[in-house]
Amino acid sequence: MKKIIIADDIVKTFGEGDEQCNVLDRISVEITESEFVAVMGPSGSGKSTLMFALSGMDGVNSGKVVFDGKDLSAIGDNELSDLRRTEMGFVFQQPTMLKNLNILDNIILPSMRGNSKNATKISEKARAFMKRVGIAELEERDITQVSGGQLQRAGICRALMNSPKILFGDEPTGSLNSKSAQDIMDIFSEISADGTAVMLVTHDAMVAARTERILFMRDGRIVSELKLPKFDGTHMDDRIGKITVKMLEIGI
Amino acid sequence: MYNRIIYYDILKSKAITLTTMIFVAASAMLVSLAAILVINLSGALDTLMKQAKTPHFMQMHSGEIDFARLTSFAQQNNNVDDFQVIEFLNMDGARIIFGDRSLANSVQDNGFSIQSEKFDYLLDLDGNIINVSDGQLYVPISYMRDNTTKVGDEAVISGKKFTVVGFLRDSQMNSSLSASKRFLISENDYAQISNLGSTEYLIEFRLKELSALGAFETAYVSAGLEANGPTVTYGLFKTMNALSDGMMIAVILLVSALVVAIAFMCIRFTLLAKIEDDYREIGVMKAIGLRVSDIKKMYLAKYAAIAAGGSIFGFALSILFKGMLLENIRLYMGESENSSFALLFGILGILLVFLAIIAYVSGVLRRFQKISVVEAIRFGTAQEKNVGAKRFWLSRNKLLHTNIFLGIKDVLTRKSLYATMLTVLVISTFIIIVPQNLYNTISSKNFIQYMGIGNYDMRVDIQQTDHISRKAVEIISTMNSDSTISKITLLTTKTFKVKTEDGSKENIKVELGDHSIFPIEYSEGRIPSAENEIALSTLNAEELNKKVGDVVTLVIKGKEKNLTISGIYSDITNGGKTAKAVFSDNSADIMGSIICVELPDKTLIDEKVLEYTDRFDFAKVSGIDEFVTQTFGSTISSVGKASNAAIAVALIIMVLVTLLFMNMLIAKDRYAIAVVKALGFTNADVRVQYVSRSLFVLIVGIVFGTLLANTLGEILAGAVISKFGTSTFKFAVNPFSAYLFSPLMMMCSVLIATMIGTASAGQIKISENIKE
Ligand SMILES: Nc1ncnc2c1ncn2[C@@H]1O[C@H](COP(=O)(O)OP(=O)(O)O)[C@@H](O)[C@H]1O
Ligand SMILES: [Mg+2]
Repeated sequence: MKKIIIADDIVKTFGEGDEQCNVLDRISVEITESEFVAVMGPSGSGKSTLMFALSGMDGVNSGKVVFDGKDLSAIGDNELSDLRRTEMGFVFQQPTMLKNLNILDNIILPSMRGNSKNATKISEKARAFMKRVGIAELEERDITQVSGGQLQRAGICRALMNSPKILFGDEPTGSLNSKSAQDIMDIFSEISADGTAVMLVTHDAMVAARTERILFMRDGRIVSELKLPKFDGTHMDDRIGKITVKMLEIGI
Repeated sequence: MYNRIIYYDILKSKAITLTTMIFVAASAMLVSLAAILVINLSGALDTLMKQAKTPHFMQMHSGEIDFARLTSFAQQNNNVDDFQVIEFLNMDGARIIFGDRSLANSVQDNGFSIQSEKFDYLLDLDGNIINVSDGQLYVPISYMRDNTTKVGDEAVISGKKFTVVGFLRDSQMNSSLSASKRFLISENDYAQISNLGSTEYLIEFRLKELSALGAFETAYVSAGLEANGPTVTYGLFKTMNALSDGMMIAVILLVSALVVAIAFMCIRFTLLAKIEDDYREIGVMKAIGLRVSDIKKMYLAKYAAIAAGGSIFGFALSILFKGMLLENIRLYMGESENSSFALLFGILGILLVFLAIIAYVSGVLRRFQKISVVEAIRFGTAQEKNVGAKRFWLSRNKLLHTNIFLGIKDVLTRKSLYATMLTVLVISTFIIIVPQNLYNTISSKNFIQYMGIGNYDMRVDIQQTDHISRKAVEIISTMNSDSTISKITLLTTKTFKVKTEDGSKENIKVELGDHSIFPIEYSEGRIPSAENEIALSTLNAEELNKKVGDVVTLVIKGKEKNLTISGIYSDITNGGKTAKAVFSDNSADIMGSIICVELPDKTLIDEKVLEYTDRFDFAKVSGIDEFVTQTFGSTISSVGKASNAAIAVALIIMVLVTLLFMNMLIAKDRYAIAVVKALGFTNADVRVQYVSRSLFVLIVGIVFGTLLANTLGEILAGAVISKFGTSTFKFAVNPFSAYLFSPLMMMCSVLIATMIGTASAGQIKISENIKE
């Protein structure tokens, strides 16, 4: 299987002098095509920072990140932007939407860059995604007029618009109730089944239990890893059990 | 604690703090200057009028005068403190010559007087009553100002030689608004030239109590005393003397109001953005029980510091500049007695600005009350409602580039936010376009016809000489055999008496000749073509209260001649009071003649001017452009200068406000910028989005500003221009400069300011702004 992300010995520090600390402390990790990965760890362990580093949103102090054969530290800002827009998708905990635009416009925004001519085609594609995640009737709504779960689905649609190679989710279910969270996870599972790699940051074992590979982080390091078989809708308790045991084992 | 908060806050927003401080300093400076000027003006004016003992009541009179009757009236009226009659020898400007130039083109009534004995003294520049000897001439101060002459020059008055020994302040006639100007000469000299002009009388009274003026005026009128001329009272003298500097003060106050408004806008921008930034903190402070007034104090402290800094700086600047603006007052009126108060009032003015700023900030901060603790802590921002531009959808947009779409959409959704910037841009456009159009209008060839000058190429003026008509004939016969000349006309100006509505008589200058060869623009009616027709300039028509079709009566050699008004035209030559007719007359003296000439080959103009100048040394030959430059050149060039200054000021305001606004916007929009960057938009994309916003607002501003300039601006400019005697006024717009060059200039400025103002958007880190 092809590797889309290879992170090699990356270090990220914040602060200066006495207050300096390694938020990512020599992390190496590889993600292969269509893999479904979760990153778990206590708050402040560096999960978000890792995601920002792997997606090139933030640079690293040492080590390197290779995305789809390209060394992220060697390419310019514009190429990084292009890469994020065309090869990656993002879903955040808080819905990162522009207040000015309605739901549909927010979804198509990244695909429309330099592409206004194809507005109709792009909108059709977006409508198809919206239908698939169950928010077809919301396209003209303002982002303040829908629920958190609906907004999160819109966020997923937006992330899928450019058919990314990998979808990053930073606690995408973090601000949802458990019913909505399970619905969102169903969507992620489907996306993964379609062959897109998915990497979710979470501290919810229920979420992590849907994935095939779980990285456990503490104090900026990956301290352990757990592989699970592909989720087929069954043995959920079993999977959650395994994760819980692992967490106890490493003390997080 | 406040010091530390202010220090860090200012350090974090240097550009915005500095810009705000500059505007505060500018408004403080202007207000202080205005205060200093007001105090100095009123002080200097009082001093001047006290030293000169300006009359309380003055009646100008031309014609017979009965001294005995006036004296007995003055003795019997117990309000009168002192009484005198002064002679004013009115002389044609052409007969007053300094060096090689005469006052022929002067719009003033120039005349001569001797020093008064009792009051209404003419003063030297130190405020002393002048003692003049034979052969000496004191010249009104305004002729020093426009460099007509200087001390030591020789002056020739109707052939008699004088030496200019100094300049005089005239508490009655100093002002350029006063139509007359008094020159001072000795009694002997006056006696020698007194038959060379027309004598007017200034019948002057000083009263025991100024408050009795009203009663005295009634008494004077009901006594049926001499009254063939205007009446001027003490209050009017004061107003006239104060007006031109008063106007400057008014302009300064107007500009300072504008600058204060801009300073307020800056403060509003920055403050609102800051509140938004600190929304959560403010909510938390409220949640843990801090009082709103305590929180307000922290924010007020910063603006108090900025306002204090700006005020002190502005005061220093006003002290620096006050000398320049006081120059005029000092020259015309002398030192003020209470100039030491002036600074005090300057400080008071600045204090006013300072307090206004504090009050304004405190007003803006009132919205702290409305901050919901729950919203602030949960969302970190106010949950504002999204209004407007609902139908403007990205999904329906095929035309605009997405970045441009986002920029415009933002402007349409957050209209109130951009309204302040729009206002500034509209005002700036107005300030750029109006003076420019005005300049363009008065310097255009068309406007010359509005000014009373026909469309000829060369003119020959024959003035200040004898045998004018014979000399004119001599020139014309030469011209007739000159094959380069295609059209010639001779126009002769004579002075007649005209009967006014109330039966009194006034002088009127009438230009006689064929007016159809080089016609000018008539605002009403047409040129005079029959013997019994006359055309009047707008100002004359107004003064005589006549319309087209009415009859005016001229008195020629004692005989009355009725003429029908065929038309009314705009004229700004000869002070705007002229008339045109075609009748022939052999009675009156010729004041001057002009010969107007058209040359089909315009390249020959310069050559012909030289040729005729050489050949006829008694005449003044000029090309039309040269003539216009000489006559209106200083007006045109000062309007041109003012227009350039206006452009510079407006552009600076535009750049500063755009810079500030963009800076603010970036701070406000950090999150949205981080989002679009996370979604794969580049820094260049973000910059295009912001440039689209400011250019969109600018274009709307230019459209509104230009519309406003061509409507309101045209009316305003027309009102100003009509003072010179034109009746109809339309802007002659140079489309290249008004609709292409100026907008381009504004766009470039705004573009550059936007680029600089949004540079910090490139440094916004995604990870820091959307981290969970
Ligand atoms: N911009 C920053 N400046 C300083 N410290 C930071 C910054 N961003 C993150 N950190 C620190 O890095 C650590 C990891 O943060 P983060 O990756 O957000 O953790 P997680 O997502 O696992 O909760 C935290 O201790 C946080 O305080
Ligand atoms: Mg996190």
